[in-house]
Amino acid sequence: MSTTETSALAVQAATSATGRRFSPLASAKLKQNLRWTSWAPAVITFVIAAALWQITAIANPYVIPTIDQVWMSLIKDADTYWANMLVTSLEVVVGASSGILAGFILAIIMAEFQIMERAIMPLVVVVMVTPIVAIAPALVVAFGFGMTPKFIVTALVVFFPMLVNSLAGLRDVDDRALDVMKTLHASRWEIFRDLRFTGSMPYVFAGLRIALPLAIVGAAVAEFVAAGQQAGLGSLVTIAAAQANLPVTWASIALLCLMGVILISLLALVRERVLWWSDGAAVGR
Amino acid sequence: METAQPHAGVYIEDVSKSFGPEGARTLVLNHVSLSIKMGEFVSVIGPSGCGKSTLLKTVAGLIEADSGTVKVDGMTVKAATKNKMIGLVPQSPALLPWRTVLDNVRLPMTVNPKANANRNLRDPREILESFGLGAALDKYPGQLSGGMQQRVAIARAFVFDPSVLLMDEPFSALDEMNRDAQRLGLLDFWQSNRKAVMFVTHSVPEAIMLSDRIVVMGAHPGHIAEIIDVPLPRPRTIDVYATDEFRDLEGRVRETLREVMGQKSA
Ligand SMILES: Nc1ncnc2c1ncn2[C@@H]1O[C@H](COP(=O)(O)OP(=O)(O)OP(=O)(O)O)[C@@H](O)[C@H]1O
Ligand SMILES: [Mg+2]
Repeated sequence: MSTTETSALAVQAATSATGRRFSPLASAKLKQNLRWTSWAPAVITFVIAAALWQITAIANPYVIPTIDQVWMSLIKDADTYWANMLVTSLEVVVGASSGILAGFILAIIMAEFQIMERAIMPLVVVVMVTPIVAIAPALVVAFGFGMTPKFIVTALVVFFPMLVNSLAGLRDVDDRALDVMKTLHASRWEIFRDLRFTGSMPYVFAGLRIALPLAIVGAAVAEFVAAGQQAGLGSLVTIAAAQANLPVTWASIALLCLMGVILISLLALVRERVLWWSDGAAVGR
Repeated sequence: METAQPHAGVYIEDVSKSFGPEGARTLVLNHVSLSIKMGEFVSVIGPSGCGKSTLLKTVAGLIEADSGTVKVDGMTVKAATKNKMIGLVPQSPALLPWRTVLDNVRLPMTVNPKANANRNLRDPREILESFGLGAALDKYPGQLSGGMQQRVAIARAFVFDPSVLLMDEPFSALDEMNRDAQRLGLLDFWQSNRKAVMFVTHSVPEAIMLSDRIVVMGAHPGHIAEIIDVPLPRPRTIDVYATDEFRDLEGRVRETLREVMGQKSA
């Protein structure tokens, strides 16, 4: 009995010793491995895509530029690109935040007062089914070539997904939690404050996930139609394309793309901070 | 004459309720009368769909009866909810996942604070500790087991000192061993905090273990088929299960349930 006991203890000691010695290294390795398997496939895809691009570009010099041409253009005219990117970013930030805010606030009003939904929703739908590409020139005529029409177009594009998603989120409360609140005679405000507001966040973030990339689309489209005044990456694209300047065209497109990636990454960061409590099962990410 | 004097606890008289659109209404509660005295523990048992939850929701003020009277401590249900006299434990814990356990239990204090005056509000910490959740105060619901979550939900219903507790199958999602522990915990706590309790359940042993009386409901339409007294002495412990009285009662309740179910199929 004592022998088995001591041997068991010895084994335990041995494993804990080896564990102590090797486990940090092993776990670090494991983590690295995990990271590798999660990153590698995407990286490989990008490398292959870049290679294919490069091959195509070399074979067809008048269709697409090579990657190094684009890169050279970015370096050479960095100041111009930077200035234009700032303009587009401003449009996206101002337009998107007002569209988001307006969508969320209107969703709150509609969620709290059914009659407001019945009154306003049809109009919203009519506006939303009108192609934004068609509205944009009209807005430019109305508001001139300044920033205003660009803010409006961007806000409009963002507004609808925010409204619809927020409304769904504010409505989708846990019925049983709502029952508990009602037996406490909670006021509407208290139900909103304690239940609906935070409870709607998974939907709000699902809405943002759709809305933010759209904001860039909105800003670019608004710039396309108001290209007379050269400002923003969108107008850079149209002007360069009209001159068949491939490197500038594609450099601008690449920067628009970069903006989208940055926005989505920021969103993912914020989402993690705000929605740590949500398992994400209820709403698709 | 009973209506004339204020009735502590729950008083249900001749309540009927039907659902559905005009012309295609189905009667769910048919002239139901029941009173639960202050400090009395009453279970409601019956086949699925017989209207147990509907009855409970009528008392909770979540559903309005078509006819009949419901009073809580002699007040209308509306007045009773205004005064926060009703504690509700729903079938799922329904905790707010973004709030800590402690903040979940504080919720009833922060809601409708006007009704907090002149009452014996409990210390949320203390009540959670007495529920064996002292180590979980700052945890989030997602970090707790199902049984612990349900105990938090019960603490949330007790904390603001309501006079009536309504529980709709609070333990139905738990495994049998866990359920037993939860039942005993609830009994223990209730023993020193005698409220009028209406407890909906599907489990015969649970009903017997907890209750002073068992209301057996039948369906189509929902009605009270029989009310069975449970004269087992209190405080009850797990040993009750092994007594002859318990087995006799279990036989009686099951027999009544069989009769009720038979009616349904006949
Ligand atoms: N809001 C409602 N609208 C229409 N019908 C309803 C509504 N609530 C309940 N019912 C119907 O009333 C009947 C009784 O429902 P209830 O939930 O009270 O039954 P129950 O006894 O609690 O059943 P279970 O044991 O399954 O929980 C069911 O047939 C149900 O379909
Ligand atoms: Mg039910």
